[in-house]
This record gives sequence, structure tokens and C-alpha cells, in this order.
Amino acid sequence: MSYFRVNENCNGCLACMENCPACALGFVDQDGRRTLKHNMTKCARCGQCWRICPQSAVEFQHFLVGQWDDVIKLDLVHCRVCGEPLYSPAYRQKVESKLNSTDEPLCPKHRQSYAASMWPHLVSGKAKPNLGGK
Amino acid sequence: MIVGDLKPLEEIVSTIKAYKQVLVLGCGSCVTVCLSGGEREAVQLRRELSQMRHYQSAPPKFEVDSILRQCERDLVLEFQNIPAGTDAVLSLACGAGVQTLADAFEPLPVIPALNTTFLGASDKPGIWTEKCKGCGDCILMHTGGVCPVARCAKSLFNGPCGGSKGGYCEVGKDIPCAWTQIVARLKKMNKLHFYEEVRTLKNWEPGGATGPRRRVRTGLGDGPK
Repeated sequence: MSYFRVNENCNGCLACMENCPACALGFVDQDGRRTLKHNMTKCARCGQCWRICPQSAVEFQHFLVGQWDDVIKLDLVHCRVCGEPLYSPAYRQKVESKLNSTDEPLCPKHRQSYAASMWPHLVSGKAKPNLGGK
Repeated sequence: MIVGDLKPLEEIVSTIKAYKQVLVLGCGSCVTVCLSGGEREAVQLRRELSQMRHYQSAPPKFEVDSILRQCERDLVLEFQNIPAGTDAVLSLACGAGVQTLADAFEPLPVIPALNTTFLGASDKPGIWTEKCKGCGDCILMHTGGVCPVARCAKSLFNGPCGGSKGGYCEVGKDIPCAWTQIVARLKKMNKLHFYEEVRTLKNWEPGGATGPRRRVRTGLGDGPK
């Protein structure tokens, strides 16, 4: 649905189109009907249409609280412990190729415990770090 | 675009701590694009200002909102909801937005959260530089598209001063000398003869020297028909 919406007061006078500084409004007269057209990529959301409309027909609030559009849908890799969604398989592949290693699919919480399990002597405090001296 | 910077947190706290309920209001235009005063920054500022450590008594209650532009009076009057109980607005807009809100919602105090810094452009991601002083009498057609008013520390009109060294300004080692850039650009454009023309004294009246400026558009609103 268009972000540019008019209410039932619109009488097709085209004052909005003539006063649009961004040339984002147009119209087509065909088969005995007038269709008002709007191009969002040209629209500057300046509000001139709303200001100028003699019928108070432009519902500018739709430019301020528009809807969310779906852009793309991708599969997800989940944390292998708790199932939290993490990232897409393509993202994982990219990271692995950058790091030149395989990535364990883990959420931040379980990544911490995973890291701790890899270094038990550090967690237990039994081992003292070797700082290179005697 | 208009570029702004968030004020130091301590300064913001000192200006809002006397209020009970503050609306933190982002602006959806220039300051959103320069990453200082949009919806995201408003939410972040609310989070920081809600920390108890900033206050000796109870902190104000914060509401957050954002509007497309704060600098249009009819737009904010029609579409900006001020929640009941709000006794101050903390605006993340430029000075024009803050003043428009203050006029529109008088006598509600409108407090600036940003310092409006300059009219600039983003040369690289994360870097904005001053490009225009709004002097009201543009001469970029003579200077290869480099503004000596905004980009020369002395706003010189007829070439560099003696402080130009190695293409940089004596004011700062990271500030390119505008006149070095102008000459280099004119040379590339094969228009070096512009550099030979003497520019007469600039009239600063269009630049605001005679008071606040106003633009009236013919054929629109209350302007001449």
C-alpha cells in the first residue's frame, strides 16, 4: 500500500501534484477515471502536499508511522545448546572463511561456557600462568 | 546537512534534573544522518540519563519519541504528541528544531541535547567536515567548488596567507589549506584565470550581518502571490 494516502475528501484537483517540489506525484486519466500516482523514491516527505491540499485530504501521518516491509527471508543457524537463532548459513560461511576456522554455532551465553570448558585449568585456578620467567 | 554533536552528559543532566518527566525527542532528518540525534540516539540517551548515579534524588521519568523534522512548526503542532505530565522536552535536533519546538509548545521548556556545529558533508563514513557558512552570496563558481569562506580559517578571498605550508593550514596540521585546494582544482579544470581575478570586498549583509535572515517564497502560504 502507498505511504501517500488521501481520505474521502479528495476531489482529484491535483493541487498536491502541482505543488510537489520533488515531482513525486502524478496522475493518469484513463477509461473515464483519474488515478493519482505517488513515487516514494522521489518523495522528500516535505509535507507540501499536506499543507497545500484545499480539501484537507492528505493523510500525512502515514509518512510518519509507516508499515514495515519484508525485504528478504533467510534460513537460520541456531545455538546448538539452547536453540537461540544466531545468523544465516551464508553469514557463518563468510565468518569461517575470514577466520580460516570452523565456527561452533553458540549464543553469547553458551559461547562463554564453551570457552571455559576449553580451558578448565584456568577456570579452576589450579594452574598458574607461565609468563616466560623462571 | 546540519551537523550536531551530543553535549557532555553532565551538562545535559544539570539541565534536566529539576524536572519530573522529560520527553527525549529525536529528529529524523540531518542529525539522524550524522548519527547524533535520531531515534536510535534518543533511545540511547534515555538509557544513559536513567542511571541513578547521575542524581542525588529521584531521576526524572523519561519518555522517548522521534519525529521526521522538528524544524517545521505546523508539522510538530499537528503530529507531535506531548505525553501528559511532561514538564520538559529534551530535543536532539539542531538549534532550529529546538527553537521551533519552543515556539510551538510554549511555555514548555525545550532543552537542547546537542551542540549544533556546522553545515557540512560526509566525505567518508564517520567523518563530517564543514563546507558552508551560509554566507548568502555563493562564489563557488569562481573557486572550483571549494569554499574559502567556510574552509579557509581566515575566510580569505584572494589566495592563501603566509600560514599555508605543504598544503595545510597553520591552524591545524589536519586542516587542508582551502586556497591550495582551490588552485589545484582550478588547474585541473583549466580555469586558473579565475585565480588571477581580484575579488572585491565581500558584502556580509546577505550573511546575516544585518540581523536574522528570512526567506519568503512567492506563491506559497502567506508569501506574495
